[in-house]
Amino acid sequence: MLKKLESSLIHLLLILGAIVMVMPFAWMISTSLKSQNEVFSYPPVWIPPNPIWENYVRAWQAAPFARYFVNSVIIALAVTLGTLITSSFAAFAFARIRFPGRDALFAIYLSSMMIPHQMTIIPSFLVLKDFGDFSPALGLDTYFALIAPFIASAFGIFLLRQSFLTLPNELEDAAILDGCGKLGFLWRIVIPLSRPALATLALFTFMANWNSYLWPLIVTNSNTMRTVQIGLRYFVGQEGNQWGLLMAAAVFVTLPIVIVYLLVQRQFVQGIAVTGIKQ
Amino acid sequence: MKKLVLLSLVALGVIAMACAPAPTPAPTAAPPTVAPPTVAPKPTEAAAAKPTEAPKPTEVPAAKPTTAPTAAPTSAPVKITFWYALSGATGQVVEAMVAKFNQTHPNIPVTVVFQGTYADIANKLVAAMTAKTLPDVAQMGGAPTMAESGVIVPIGDLVSKQDLDDIYPGFWDYNKFGNQIVSMPFNNSIPIVYYNKDLFTAAGLDPNKPPTTWDELAKMAQALTKDTNNDGKIEQWGLNTNTDTHWYLTAMIMQNGGKILSDDGKKVVYNSPEGVEALQFWADLVNKYKVMPANQHAQANADFVAGKVGMIMRSSASLASVTTDAKFKVGAAPLPCKKTCSEPLGGASFLIFKTTPEKQKAAWEFTQWMTNGDNTVDLFIKTGYVPLRKSVSDNAALKDYLKSSPNAQILVDSLKYSCAIPTFGELGNSDEQLRLAIQKVELASASAKDAMDAAAALINKNMAGQ
Repeated sequence: MLKKLESSLIHLLLILGAIVMVMPFAWMISTSLKSQNEVFSYPPVWIPPNPIWENYVRAWQAAPFARYFVNSVIIALAVTLGTLITSSFAAFAFARIRFPGRDALFAIYLSSMMIPHQMTIIPSFLVLKDFGDFSPALGLDTYFALIAPFIASAFGIFLLRQSFLTLPNELEDAAILDGCGKLGFLWRIVIPLSRPALATLALFTFMANWNSYLWPLIVTNSNTMRTVQIGLRYFVGQEGNQWGLLMAAAVFVTLPIVIVYLLVQRQFVQGIAVTGIKQ
Repeated sequence: MKKLVLLSLVALGVIAMACAPAPTPAPTAAPPTVAPPTVAPKPTEAAAAKPTEAPKPTEVPAAKPTTAPTAAPTSAPVKITFWYALSGATGQVVEAMVAKFNQTHPNIPVTVVFQGTYADIANKLVAAMTAKTLPDVAQMGGAPTMAESGVIVPIGDLVSKQDLDDIYPGFWDYNKFGNQIVSMPFNNSIPIVYYNKDLFTAAGLDPNKPPTTWDELAKMAQALTKDTNNDGKIEQWGLNTNTDTHWYLTAMIMQNGGKILSDDGKKVVYNSPEGVEALQFWADLVNKYKVMPANQHAQANADFVAGKVGMIMRSSASLASVTTDAKFKVGAAPLPCKKTCSEPLGGASFLIFKTTPEKQKAAWEFTQWMTNGDNTVDLFIKTGYVPLRKSVSDNAALKDYLKSSPNAQILVDSLKYSCAIPTFGELGNSDEQLRLAIQKVELASASAKDAMDAAAALINKNMAGQ
């Protein structure tokens, strides 16, 4: 009886929490169907009486969103993949291989996380401009400029190193006994066992890159290279925002992240259950 | 699992590409005019495209004209780039204007690029300055602050006497740094009072007689502030202002006979008795007359349009959009006066950057065209950014518009009170300090005098250190 009460209480709290989390999304969808003067009516109207579905069409046409989507997807995927690869290798080295200066080097990597992003914008910009003088495909206003600066991530190395450290040494010994080299150990054993950490890193990297606004704005000028976040700015104005259009655009810009999360969320749950070896 | 993620996202991308209107206008075979070399992403272009056209994923060099296809090309086309920072309806007007320029001026193809907000374009220009990738023309707010950067061509060196006389002196003052004209006025606005005529009538006020003095403002706002459902809380406020509160306070300081900058330009003097009185009046509106909610400026625009505020101080640039969005009769009036009337200008300007003599010449021609009589009238009709030139009073489109919109006529009449706050290095910080001072007195956490003194002290310290 008491257990049922406890269970119901937990469920109630979780439901309340879920409502709080979902409310901004509900407001976003609700506002995307409203006209400008319905947006801030009080008490709030959750289901507008005359939903304006054209907001979605108008929002889509206000900027070249199709192209922006393609670019955002390509860049976010490339950066995520690149980060996963480089962070795995680096984290493995820091966690599993002994070499002189290892800890000092790791401390330096870690401290680079404390440099604010804004401080590196201009130096990175200048570097890319010089690359561009060398070869146009590597300069400003290219995929290279949007992807390259983010392929190495100190955060990723830190996260994965912590995860790799939790794996017991017996695993490595067993692998060596079976004739596996270091690389084989990494690829066949460590990575499959670290799926939760990799999934977390992938999700955060994808999200951070998808939401990135300042860097794409600074580095690109042509509409063929820009991303969805710049598209959203078309609705944010000096004379006030066009809320209906902005929210409609926000709905279709947020959709990919939601999809990615839904596909990846199983890994989080798995991570809680699996350890690998019983000790 | 990861493969599935990858596949679904690629599929999404392909679907998006297939459903998209082609962002690139297809280059025509032998046009007498030239298709603009980059994408103009506006509804007119999208509507013309067929839904099955997939945009090319690579750069589109095919759209760039290789030669000027005019009958007798006098010179090779001079390509220039133009960056601007206006979004929404205004952004669309600008893009349409540039498209028209490209059609009528095939020898100067202009590549137009949207660069976010005024803050964003300022960042971009700084980055571009260091990397030497500046555009040829840019539209930005606070343009005179670029005067000392060394990368611009001061407009004062280019402008003709005719333009100097034709454009109102207030606009030239707005674009000066020291005594030199630095930038070209483009989209300028004045702060005005929008009011809800229906609410006026309901409160027993004459909807054609908006407040003209500070006292009238307070009195009428009191009549408009109501607790409509008797629950002890006010649902309808008499007055509110947009988030750029410093602008309206600046106007009030000047209406009270005060000044912002000292005559030698070395310090700010808004903590004078006149300035403090202005801030005190603002504080009284919130705490004494109780006609304005404290610190709720972020919602002011939406609340007004929803019919919950009687009067709102906002930029004239929103006239067109407010009139469209509101479901009631909208009235417009200049800000109320005290010792004098004052309408300090806001808005942004064009800057021309130092490049090559040909490009600078082309950039100047472009700038002159964008600010000519027809275009300044067009911008005014579609937004509320005020017409720059005295000579447009004969313009037919303007006359028709003024006949159909009494509010527009009021705007034009208010221009005689327009003036410019001089630009100085600390202007941005100073505006922020004024907003902070306003916030303090609205929340009653400081007296008007202390708040003003604190703001002036900080800015003067910065200015002394320079």
